[in-house]
Amino acid sequence: MIQISLFQTHLFFNVTETTSESSTLENEVLPTLEIQTSDQLTVYNSQSEIKNPVEMFKNIAADFWSGRELGWRLFLRNLRGLYRQTFLGLFWAFLPPIANTAVWVFLRHQGVFEIGGDMEISLTVYILTGMILWQTFIDAFQMPLKVINQNRGMIAKLRFPRESLLLVGLGEVLFDFAIRSLLLIPAFLWYGVTPNLAVLWALPIALLMILFAAGLGMLIMPIGSLYQDVNRFIGIAMPFWMLTTPIIYVITGDMLENDPNTSLLVWLNPAAPLLVWARDLTLFGESPFVLPGMILAFLAIPIFLLGLAVFRISIPVIVERMNAY
Amino acid sequence: MSENSDNSKLILNVEDVSKVFCRNLKLAMRYGLYDLGKEIVGRGEDRAEGQLRPGEFYSIRNASFKIEPGECVALIGPNGAGKSTMLKMINGLIKPDRGEIRINGKIGALIELGTGFNPILSGRENVYINAAVLGMSKREVDEVYDEIVDFAELHDVMEAPVKTYSSGMRIRLGFSVAANLRPQLLLIDEVLAVGDVGFRMKCFKHLRTLVSNGVSIILVTHAIGMLQRVATRSVVFNRGRIVHDGELDAGCAVYEEILGASERIRTERLQQKTREAEIAEVTVVNKNDEPQTEFQTNDSLKIRILLKSKKKIENARVIVALNSPSIGTVSSVSTAYQEVRFDVDPAVHPDGRMLTLSFQELPLLLGAYHFNISLFGPETTEFFHRRSGCGNFRIIGPPIDVYGMGIHGILKVDHEWKLD
Repeated sequence: MIQISLFQTHLFFNVTETTSESSTLENEVLPTLEIQTSDQLTVYNSQSEIKNPVEMFKNIAADFWSGRELGWRLFLRNLRGLYRQTFLGLFWAFLPPIANTAVWVFLRHQGVFEIGGDMEISLTVYILTGMILWQTFIDAFQMPLKVINQNRGMIAKLRFPRESLLLVGLGEVLFDFAIRSLLLIPAFLWYGVTPNLAVLWALPIALLMILFAAGLGMLIMPIGSLYQDVNRFIGIAMPFWMLTTPIIYVITGDMLENDPNTSLLVWLNPAAPLLVWARDLTLFGESPFVLPGMILAFLAIPIFLLGLAVFRISIPVIVERMNAY
Repeated sequence: MSENSDNSKLILNVEDVSKVFCRNLKLAMRYGLYDLGKEIVGRGEDRAEGQLRPGEFYSIRNASFKIEPGECVALIGPNGAGKSTMLKMINGLIKPDRGEIRINGKIGALIELGTGFNPILSGRENVYINAAVLGMSKREVDEVYDEIVDFAELHDVMEAPVKTYSSGMRIRLGFSVAANLRPQLLLIDEVLAVGDVGFRMKCFKHLRTLVSNGVSIILVTHAIGMLQRVATRSVVFNRGRIVHDGELDAGCAVYEEILGASERIRTERLQQKTREAEIAEVTVVNKNDEPQTEFQTNDSLKIRILLKSKKKIENARVIVALNSPSIGTVSSVSTAYQEVRFDVDPAVHPDGRMLTLSFQELPLLLGAYHFNISLFGPETTEFFHRRSGCGNFRIIGPPIDVYGMGIHGILKVDHEWKLD
């Protein structure tokens, strides 16, 4: 759809008050301005950009680069806007995992459910770590649709590198993830948990998990922005999805190998492998989820790239229908 | 596509572009999903001409036009004619379904002022956000920040949250940021009808400055009265088709004719039911009683109105309003005012009663005009018929001048200057 021969842009903003020869109106004194020129040729037609994937990914990369400053501005805007009108400020970033963890720890102590497996460390730390990762997964998964919905007006009216919205979205996911991870420090100290050295591996795995979730989110974004059913369905399915992910209970290697139902559940749940792997490495230094985790880790980047392509291609189709509602 | 030497220096070349939309929400979503699927598997291609799915219509059909560097072109037309769709395609927001748009050079758009403003952040912070949305870097904004504040005349309030600004202040700030967009092709959509007169004049002057510096501008607006301040050419859209491409004044007249015609259709539709009496015919003639539709300022002109009735109307009244689609009624006259009393009686005038209204030396200036004519009985409540947008005519000369070197407006008023 868009072919851009790489361009050079000159920007000048000096206004010099000299009379222009070619003024629209005789006798009207108009200043001379430096015009921003480029030799870029832009072509719009009905062809699909994906026909030339190499060119398309080059354009995506170029737009990520040219959208970096806008992404940063919008990230700062959202962050400042988010907490300027609150009393508790940043505390709100910490609250969801604390609240969720508190609920499940309470229910466990009431004997509402069994945790399964042997647990050497504090239940609170176990659930909190899982919750932080789960929240991050869900945030990343919902991010593409969220940035589109939040910036509808801008997308429908202005041409700017759309990838900058993904930068904002990913930035916010990472920021929240970092803030929440800080919670682990007091929790580890309080409950006397010593993190395993393998925690260093947990970080890249968590990052891959974010890319993977964002990739999935970008793949469903087009349908989600056309049909609100998707968002409603995710809203309803989320608690169930969380419960099928071993966050408040344990799935041991033994269960994974010998219980076909458990292993089916794990294989069908894209949230589970990377999340559990990262959590287990942080807390125990080993995990029964290495194999499924490895598979998804290899898939994460291709899924993310595929998501980028779908995200880019679908935006004009979505913009066309934005005025409809 | 042939790439001849003429086209290579064009800033914009729109060639045979069509765009299809769907008004049915459910179908639009379904088609969206289908089109998306086709795009993703790389099978998006030109739509066959004239092939529509149920519920679809052409928002733009077979539109072609070119713009050269330093031209300021107005896209005009009634609501839903396709102007904004065209602008969106040129801006790359949506894709054409057929045809091709080629842009040579840097493009910028002034579509909505102050996009990205966050109301709880300060004016200063929002300048940086808005500028970033428009593609400027922080360093570039740093350099022109003072200029932006000067242009907006908002020195005292830059540190206050934007939500404490009046809407006019917000728009001024938005325009001032956007004024630093100096691309080779600038798209402007309906943003000039804002702000107070002084600021508006400043905006127009800014646009003239851009044009004089070689920037091409495409303007979409309904306020055609203002166009003469900056545009030189117009492209008129009606129902997705380009019906005029050329001189601005002629384009405005074509547009006003379209507006007049749609008003006529609207009132005709309202009055479909059988009526006892009607204004059967309206003809504009010159002083020699020959039908004519193009006049010069200060020409004399008559309209001949044929009234028909099934029963006798005693003391009928006729009201004639001379209208300009862009400003409304210029003048309204009635038979009652000059105490012209007459009956419409089918027994006396079986072919209808003819009434002639003469205007001596009509001082109208360049533009398209029409009449709205109503037929009443002696009482205000005795309404028989109204014809809107009839008797269309145009004043085609002499030229007007909006830069203060001649006269412009609707009327040529008798006047005299005197030096003490």
